[in-house]
Amino acid sequence: MVKDKATVVVVGGGATGVGILRDLSMRGIDALLIEKLDMVNGASSRYHGLLHSGARYAVKDQEAAKECIKENTILRRIGKSCVEATTGMFVQVEGDDPDFVDPWLKGCAESGISTRELSKEEALRLEPNLSRKLKVAYEVPDGAIDGFRMSWQNLQSAARYGGRYKTYTELIKVNIENATVKSITVRDNVTKEEYDIECEILVNAAGPWAGKVAELAGLECNVSPSKGTLIAFNQRITNHVVNRLRKPSNGDIFVPHGSITILGTSSITIPDPEDTSTSWEEVEELMKTGVGVFEHLRDYRILRVFAGSRPLYVPKGAEGGRNASRGFVTIDHEKEDGLKGMMTICGGKFTTYRLMAEKFCDVLAPKLHNTAKCRTAEEDLVPEVSEAEKKAARQYFPSYGVNLAATRLGVEKFGDVVKTLKEQPETREVLCECENVTMAEIQRIAAEPTSHCVADVRRRTRLGMGTCQGNYCAIRSAAVANKLFKNKFEGCSDSLSDMKNFLQARWKGITPVMAGKTLREAEMTRGMYELLFNVNGGRRG
Amino acid sequence: MELEERARDSADNCIACTSCIVACPVTKANPEYKGPKLVGPAHSRMHFSDPSDYEDTLMLCSNCKNCDITCPNGVSVSTLNMLERGRYLKAHPEAHKPEDKMLSHGFEMADMLNKIPFGKSLANLGMSIGEALGVMGAMGMAPERKTPRYASVYFRDLFKTIKQPSSDKKVLFFPGCYIDTNEPWVGTAFVQVMNENGYEVLMDNRFVCCGSPLVVGGYLDEARQHADTNVAIIQEYAQKGIPVVACCTSCSLMLKNEYTELFAQSEMKEAAKNVWDAFEFLTMLAEEGKLKKVNIKSDHKFIYHAPCHLRAQGMGLPAFDLLKAAGLNVVNADAGCCGMSGSYGFHKDNYETSMKIGQALFDAINADNYHKVICDCGTCRMQIQHGTDVKAVHPIEILAKAYKKA
Ligand SMILES: Cc1cc2nc3c(=O)[nH]c(=O)nc-3n(C[C@H](O)[C@H](O)[C@H](O)COP(=O)(O)OP(=O)(O)OC[C@H]3O[C@@H](n4cnc5c(N)ncnc54)[C@H](O)[C@@H]3O)c2cc1C
Ligand code: SF4
Ligand code: SF4
Repeated sequence: MVKDKATVVVVGGGATGVGILRDLSMRGIDALLIEKLDMVNGASSRYHGLLHSGARYAVKDQEAAKECIKENTILRRIGKSCVEATTGMFVQVEGDDPDFVDPWLKGCAESGISTRELSKEEALRLEPNLSRKLKVAYEVPDGAIDGFRMSWQNLQSAARYGGRYKTYTELIKVNIENATVKSITVRDNVTKEEYDIECEILVNAAGPWAGKVAELAGLECNVSPSKGTLIAFNQRITNHVVNRLRKPSNGDIFVPHGSITILGTSSITIPDPEDTSTSWEEVEELMKTGVGVFEHLRDYRILRVFAGSRPLYVPKGAEGGRNASRGFVTIDHEKEDGLKGMMTICGGKFTTYRLMAEKFCDVLAPKLHNTAKCRTAEEDLVPEVSEAEKKAARQYFPSYGVNLAATRLGVEKFGDVVKTLKEQPETREVLCECENVTMAEIQRIAAEPTSHCVADVRRRTRLGMGTCQGNYCAIRSAAVANKLFKNKFEGCSDSLSDMKNFLQARWKGITPVMAGKTLREAEMTRGMYELLFNVNGGRRG
Repeated sequence: MELEERARDSADNCIACTSCIVACPVTKANPEYKGPKLVGPAHSRMHFSDPSDYEDTLMLCSNCKNCDITCPNGVSVSTLNMLERGRYLKAHPEAHKPEDKMLSHGFEMADMLNKIPFGKSLANLGMSIGEALGVMGAMGMAPERKTPRYASVYFRDLFKTIKQPSSDKKVLFFPGCYIDTNEPWVGTAFVQVMNENGYEVLMDNRFVCCGSPLVVGGYLDEARQHADTNVAIIQEYAQKGIPVVACCTSCSLMLKNEYTELFAQSEMKEAAKNVWDAFEFLTMLAEEGKLKKVNIKSDHKFIYHAPCHLRAQGMGLPAFDLLKAAGLNVVNADAGCCGMSGSYGFHKDNYETSMKIGQALFDAINADNYHKVICDCGTCRMQIQHGTDVKAVHPIEILAKAYKKA
């Protein structure tokens, strides 16, 4: 049954998909994005969050380096509240190859990436936790970028131009007539309803799933998902992004994100992008390299481990894994496979998502006789909450809460939350103490049509992502939020099961690192939920 | 040299168990206070978001350290609080309360008065008049309180007049401001007890205030200077094998733990090994069989209050145990914090909280007909005398008296 139609349907709610939706919408093209789960389910949140300056690619791939520095500058400007302009450091410690420095400096210079040499003293003053075995350090314009926020803000921007999006809507079938895509069949993963959406062009932006989506149209597209594991630490070990100055390899980069630091990553080719498993061995490998840069790394508390898959496109006969190209491809299936009305975009990096969308839409738009120019670099993603508004709101928020809420919520929802905090003082209660999230914020996000469970609220508020990993906020937020969800999942229909699912998902990232301080916290959780609340309904005797 | 383990890293150990909130006397007395877990370890991860922001209720923390004592994971919550308060007040000097400067710099006033003929009696007279006229309140001090009076002769001067038998066994006394300028007789009692045990007591007038009041007032840079001065002296004596002993438990806590926690210098950690609380030292002598035996004969019943800063040292209750073993009829009040916490209770704004916290202790003291309260801390003793009508003394006074009688 046809229930919806759009000129273009974009499949995949990652950075690539949302970037395309925004670009098309700004060009005046009617577009709808569908995402099979919650927004930003794939690589665009299961990633390192480094806004590359390009310095990492300066030796091997100058084209990528140049793209990065250009996009880096643009994203800092248009996405102020998604980017932390931390700046980065490239460091060598005793034992690192000194001969790598000169070609690297040359590569940076040729790619237009500014570098500044730091004396050992200055580097240690800036980052006192760095290893005393530090040899050389350079400053580069790296930054940190919040994948959830950046993606949601792209959607908000697209929405202002008429772009639409649906979460929990999975492409399950491509309906083709006369070698032309006529419509697609999707399944609503909340209600389990299946229906058709008519479209003129289907865009496959499913990242590491792009091969699978192509298969649904009977095509072959060689995407090799390459899994990378990342460790999240409980605090900011560093205020700069810190890269090891050597040939890129595993465990080289530390990125500070808000209250935490992420160390990564690795590269393992896997058959199925759904595989986000991690292991103690992978953690150990990263830690072993990590201690080279921060020698007391093992003293810091690990919050959790997670993994995501890069959508590496491997042209036939080429090499996969870390040595595969980080560039991206646009495939026009009309030209390649004789299927009209379908295009695939694959590969690339988060940092260059906007540029990828621009180049992709430059090919797509003419097919619809649209000659509008790309404007995505010119306009801010969302209007920022003004300093005056923040100042006025201070009295209602917990300390250190205003900036966090303003960047998480954006102008409109921030305004709503301030109003609630003002009028209903009981909503000022901080439900997530580790990440400073108030009840009002949780209620506001829970009331969004895209929220169906506490985990959805988590991804947009950082609820449950701090020190206690949901220990305290799970019970509080399930009680407050679950009743506000309009459509609920089968397994999350009441606050108790919602809470249990939420904690179980947190547990997944904790299990591989259950030792030391992390284990203590886990035991606390177990004691509270299993013994005190008896959530599993165990009986005595 | 910078230490690797720093108090701020200890926030990583917090499992958010909330034990500290339950143990915090201020949270209990004043629900406005957000409590140790939130303002300490939780907020320590949040400062990045807005360095100009500040948790106002952090000013309500008394630095009593019950949070640290309770924490099962070794988080230095109170130190996190003091570092954060200091950081903020340094950037925002205008946020200081008017009385902060005076309450944190008592040692300056005391030094000055010692240089002026009749300075101290004039100051005491002035304080009596001031109290009568209600000037204290106007200065931000709790008008209900009686301000401590200066001794006519400070201990540093009194000490010179004490004749001691010389001995190879020596200790260096760290008198601390309160004993030096307000209760010199406690110092005298200490010298007597040490002499009885064959020790000669030394003084070194280069010692400065331990810095505890500076820390709570947010003057961390000055406190650091005090720490450096004192630590250098302690180490000098450590090299000669002479231990440093203090009778004031807030001073000894500062020298033993807080310098290192606050400033993370390896010299401080090293120096701390040479610092002893008086009764900790005497207990060690007793354990080695070297303490001169004494049998306390008294018909009176005493009650002992353990200062929070003594409990924070994690060494049991040496004065209580030692006096009890010597035959004193004494019970442990076991009634938590007295509410004074150094200069905390002197602030006008804190007076109510301070008295509310102390109530359990006052009740315990008033519950029976106790002759005296025994307590190692000077400001606790002040609070006890303010909240009850029972006289409070330092345990060393009891011991000195017992030796004298024997
Ligand atoms: C470990 C790791 C670290 C990385 N670090 C960095 C970094 O520091 N900096 C950087 O710039 N880049 C980094 N990258 C690369 C970057 O994350 C990716 O290139 C980028 O996020 C890819 O975005 P995407 O939208 O193409 O794919 P994804 O974000 O994976 O989006 C694809 C989406 O499609 C959805 N989907 C799949 N099938 C269907 C279907 N049938 N119907 C509907 N929806 C479907 C999925 O649920 C998913 O949400 C990293 C990648 C990894 C894995
Ligand atoms: S030091 Fe005392 S008042 Fe301050 S948080 Fe700890 S227990 Fe509470
Ligand atoms: S007692 Fe310690 S571990 Fe528990 S909440 Fe307080 S600081 Fe954290």
